[in-house]
Amino acid sequence: MEVEKAAATATPEAEAKAPAEVAVEAAPQVMPKRGVEIEAERLRPVQVEPGKALYRQVLPGVLQVPADLVIAAARKSSLWPMTFGLACCAIEMMATYMSHHDLDRFGIVPWASPRQADVMIVAGTVTKKMAPAVKLLYEQMPNPKWVISMGACATNGGPYTRYDRVLQGVDKIIPVDVYVPGCPPRPEALMDGLIALQNKIMEERKKIG
Amino acid sequence: MSPEEQQEAPIVPPPPGSVADLFAAVLPDVKFQAAQGALDVILTVDREDLRRVLRAAKDDPRLDFKYLRCLSGVDHMEAGVEVVYHLYSYTHKHNVTIKARLPQDDPRLPSATSIWRGADWHEREAAEMFGIFFEGHPNLVPLLLPEDMTDHHPLRKDSPLAEIEEWQAERAGLAAGEAGEAEE
Amino acid sequence: MTVEQEQGLETLEINVNMGPQHPATHGVFRMVLTVDGERVVDLVPHIGYLHRGAEKLSENLDYRQAIGLQDRTEYLAAFNAELCYVMAVEKLAGLEVPERAQYIRVILAELNRITSHYMFMGAFATDIGVFGTAFTYGFREREYIQDLFEEVSGDRMMYAYFRPGGVAWDAPDNFKERVRWVCRQTRVGISDIDGLLTTNEVFVARTRGIGAISSQKAIDYGLSGPVLRACGLKVDLRREEPYSIYDRFDFDIPTGERGDSFDRYWVRLEEMRQSVRIVEQAVEQMPDSGPILPEKLPRRLRCPPGEVYMRAENPRGEYGIYLVSKGGDKPYRLKVRSPSYCNLMALKEMTVGHYVADAVVVLGSIDIVLGEVDR
Repeated sequence: MEVEKAAATATPEAEAKAPAEVAVEAAPQVMPKRGVEIEAERLRPVQVEPGKALYRQVLPGVLQVPADLVIAAARKSSLWPMTFGLACCAIEMMATYMSHHDLDRFGIVPWASPRQADVMIVAGTVTKKMAPAVKLLYEQMPNPKWVISMGACATNGGPYTRYDRVLQGVDKIIPVDVYVPGCPPRPEALMDGLIALQNKIMEERKKIG
Repeated sequence: MSPEEQQEAPIVPPPPGSVADLFAAVLPDVKFQAAQGALDVILTVDREDLRRVLRAAKDDPRLDFKYLRCLSGVDHMEAGVEVVYHLYSYTHKHNVTIKARLPQDDPRLPSATSIWRGADWHEREAAEMFGIFFEGHPNLVPLLLPEDMTDHHPLRKDSPLAEIEEWQAERAGLAAGEAGEAEE
Repeated sequence: MTVEQEQGLETLEINVNMGPQHPATHGVFRMVLTVDGERVVDLVPHIGYLHRGAEKLSENLDYRQAIGLQDRTEYLAAFNAELCYVMAVEKLAGLEVPERAQYIRVILAELNRITSHYMFMGAFATDIGVFGTAFTYGFREREYIQDLFEEVSGDRMMYAYFRPGGVAWDAPDNFKERVRWVCRQTRVGISDIDGLLTTNEVFVARTRGIGAISSQKAIDYGLSGPVLRACGLKVDLRREEPYSIYDRFDFDIPTGERGDSFDRYWVRLEEMRQSVRIVEQAVEQMPDSGPILPEKLPRRLRCPPGEVYMRAENPRGEYGIYLVSKGGDKPYRLKVRSPSYCNLMALKEMTVGHYVADAVVVLGSIDIVLGEVDR
């Protein structure tokens, strides 16, 4: 609902004026001219289903506490981020993976396929054209999964706030666990964010599916 | 900046022997309005002559503008929409800017893709950002904006950014009273 | 006639979508290939997944605030983009840049060209299959130069250091020694990458003859930069229309012969060596002290009405800023002519007829930055 209202206020004059000529005459396919309804459909947030871990159902209660600890420690030590560099933050993310500020020593290996990744580091501006792809990629990742929103653009639009074709923050469509501020954040800041995510995984080990 | 504060640039005629004279020699019956810009000579033509002028600019050996640098649109509100072509010639090492102004309610223009292949995406972008229709373009669908969200043209002056302009005007009123913007 | 057609078998062309998220597309770029077997028959590029409205936003920012947006448009060669924009404003406003500021700007712009080409070497080699080695070499060398940038401007990537009229603040005292050290280090780094890739049999086999384009078609499409120089034309905006103080330096313009992907790589490698030459000459000629901004700079920079199209030689080609001013302290229209946008138009021409794996190689060799393609 807020998305629709926000989209409606972003283009007030679209309702008032009827767009006259434009490419509809030239283009072979019929294109709807109203953006507001389509935007609401595109930008609907994903449905988040909490996973149900098999080991919780199988193990007796007394063994679940050490099992939680071991499994959470294993998950945090081997986070595989999906390479989702969109814009300038991607360059700093790549610099963090490389030899000067190494991320491999934390067990973090970049992996291109969403089906085998744990973490999605949204590095860069998410535009409304890209939003359905982001949602699809998030849904393709298997549970348990986390999202790090890197940079100012992914947090709330950044320097491109107020342009109505930019999504003002990726948390409007997917749930985010850690926000890393900066434009672009230094590699040390991204490492700090990943370590904070590791701490969060340990702290929330009872809730992870 | 409100329309009352906007000023137009004074027309400075180009020096003799410039590209404007070459154009006048090649196309003597076309009406040009020549001015000297900061770096290039600017020629303003009517919409009807535009296609002939561009074709002559590329094909005539004295002009030989084989390289289209840039094609942009500028929205001058009531005065219309302007399309600007920047051209360069590698053989004669001269450059020129050609402009054509279109009325606001009928922004149609012949496409330049049959003359320079590199005008393709520039025209698609101008079409979606300003609403200009290029006749003869092979594929005039939106390029940068999503195809199904074409309800307004972002770069037109009457589609402002969401509430940023009141915010800026307010801040400018505050800052003018303060003792100085720090000199960078 | 393909083998299947000779045998009378019916084949089907399939559409392969190399979608916005792909490890080899250098960002959010989508191309839909129509392939017949393994050969590419048609290619439709889709851009706009990073369209952030830098042009519209710049109309509401004044001339100094818009410098930050220019950084983020061309984020790998930010100093070159800033230089072009700042020169456009200076041409309109009629500002004179002092000598020391000119030299600082040229040194930083050329070093930024080197870092951008290091990134290209790394990403291109990764696309080919040298997964990681050239990338780590490139980033290791980039870190040395980025440390220097951080000492001078305060940031590793989005500098916002140039101002209309000069630079924001003076370079630190040990600037000249640091630049000389960086030049020595860069020469070693370039020869590292040269030894890794240029005579590498696999690299040459994957790039020779792939994605060739003739020079007439290249000019017609509006290509510029190393892509055009690889076709054999000896054109460089620093020589054709000299801007800033480039006419004081002595450097060569490397050109290729065939216009294929290997020539585009080789031209960039040689350009890095020429950039180091320019930086060394600039450091010798630079005055040790002096003003870095004109004395009478107004508090709010206002440009008289007029327009200018300023062009500069960016690492990717001709970067143009078309600035229309109607008085006041904000641009009326700021159009960015980005080289990657224009170079991408020829992608279909270069790729049709090659294999699917070569499509990635051609895209990598054009060296696009999605920030400036979509703006």
